[in-house]
Amino acid sequence: MGGEVAKKGTIIICRCNDVTLDDLMKAIEMGIDDFELLRRYLRLGFGPCQGRSCIMIAARIFARATGKSLGEVLANYKVRPPIVPIPTKLVLRGVKK
Amino acid sequence: MKVLIVGAGISGLFIAYELVKRGVKDIVVIDSSYPGSGASLRNVSCFRSSFTSPEHVILMKESISIWLKLRDELGMKLEQRGYLWVARKPETMDTFRKLVDFHHQYSIPTRIVDVDEVKNIEPNINTNIVAGAMVDPTAGRMPILENFINLYLRVKSLGVKVVPYTTALKLEASGSRVVRAVTTRGEIESDYFVIAAGGGSAKLVKTVGIDLPIVDIPRHPLVTEPYRETIRSGLIIDWDTPGSPHITQNEHGSFILARDLEDVPEASIYSQRIDAFSHIVKPLVELLPFLTKVNIVRYWMGYYDMTPDHHPIYGPLPPYENLYIAAGFSGHGMMMAPVTGKLIASWILDGKPYIDIANNLTAERFKTGRLVKELAVIG
Repeated sequence: MGGEVAKKGTIIICRCNDVTLDDLMKAIEMGIDDFELLRRYLRLGFGPCQGRSCIMIAARIFARATGKSLGEVLANYKVRPPIVPIPTKLVLRGVKK
Repeated sequence: MKVLIVGAGISGLFIAYELVKRGVKDIVVIDSSYPGSGASLRNVSCFRSSFTSPEHVILMKESISIWLKLRDELGMKLEQRGYLWVARKPETMDTFRKLVDFHHQYSIPTRIVDVDEVKNIEPNINTNIVAGAMVDPTAGRMPILENFINLYLRVKSLGVKVVPYTTALKLEASGSRVVRAVTTRGEIESDYFVIAAGGGSAKLVKTVGIDLPIVDIPRHPLVTEPYRETIRSGLIIDWDTPGSPHITQNEHGSFILARDLEDVPEASIYSQRIDAFSHIVKPLVELLPFLTKVNIVRYWMGYYDMTPDHHPIYGPLPPYENLYIAAGFSGHGMMMAPVTGKLIASWILDGKPYIDIANNLTAERFKTGRLVKELAVIG
């Protein structure tokens, strides 16, 4: 976790929503004890990257902090379509008037 | 006295919150998945009281006034930004006038606005296709994810046991009392049982011989990347297009778009439809042309747990004297949850609901045929 070099508040977990390690630890300390609720509180995986960068980092930290296995933590994690953001223009192409 | 609540959604947690506030110490809430995993965290997070039945109007007005008090009591967040129902057809304005007359009988300050005022309220609307609109200034939106987690943490800190990933398989009764729930993780005995499990409630009470007409109807919301504030209203509804397409912009800037599509009742929550995208986007782009420039980032499904008259089923479930229901919200459970909590708590502790009109919403109505009528089931 970056050793002592960087402060927790400057370690970014999620680049889409600017969630820091400090935000993550505070949410766990608040009592959020389910990874799906943690994700919804911090909006992890809600951005354009769909959780590609943040989910594994956050899941490992959450597993370590709560003593759960990584499998248990991620059991209810679902990737939602579309896999990458799509412009509405693309959706409308080919739609009958 | 012990109360077992089946369903850790927003209704179940508000029931627990009101019971604990009134001194009930032993409360267990179970859920088949994570707390809030059903409609509580899958909705578009808007609220209103401008319905078309006295039952909905009175209870939802009370619910909104409780939500507003909960800002101080629990630090809940909500914004009364108003709803804007847009008419494309001139004759729809007659319908709106009738609705406004009805709302005024219950002191809900809805009003009719002309095209110029629509442009004023929402400068980005394509008024060339608009005949006018109806506004409910007391309606609005809230950050439901944040509010739900706030409530979850609060009820836990008050001593309520919330047990996720525990599915109630059946109830077991002895004479006029339900005695236990059999779950995937053992049996739970209790003095009172409250079923607040959406469409799953019907399947569960069926195990003690009660038939409830609740059907899960799939819904399909989309969410975009965040943008600067472009919509002022809490919700804009395209009244004249089938399925009433609607759009809100949340506190993070993302637009949430939805439309009621014809779908297979009880279809899996993971039976996503590629055609949902174009069906939802097309009418809303006509209304708000800037939407051609946004990116859709996610799509999910949720259920409206529908009853035949689109109103919830509340209260005791005879012949059992200790079994209660709060389900079948038909798309309005989140906004209604605070009043749901107080109603069920008063039913259990005082033997009757603290608002009389809730008596019209018991399961009894499906036997007597005294159903409630609602014209506008949206948002």
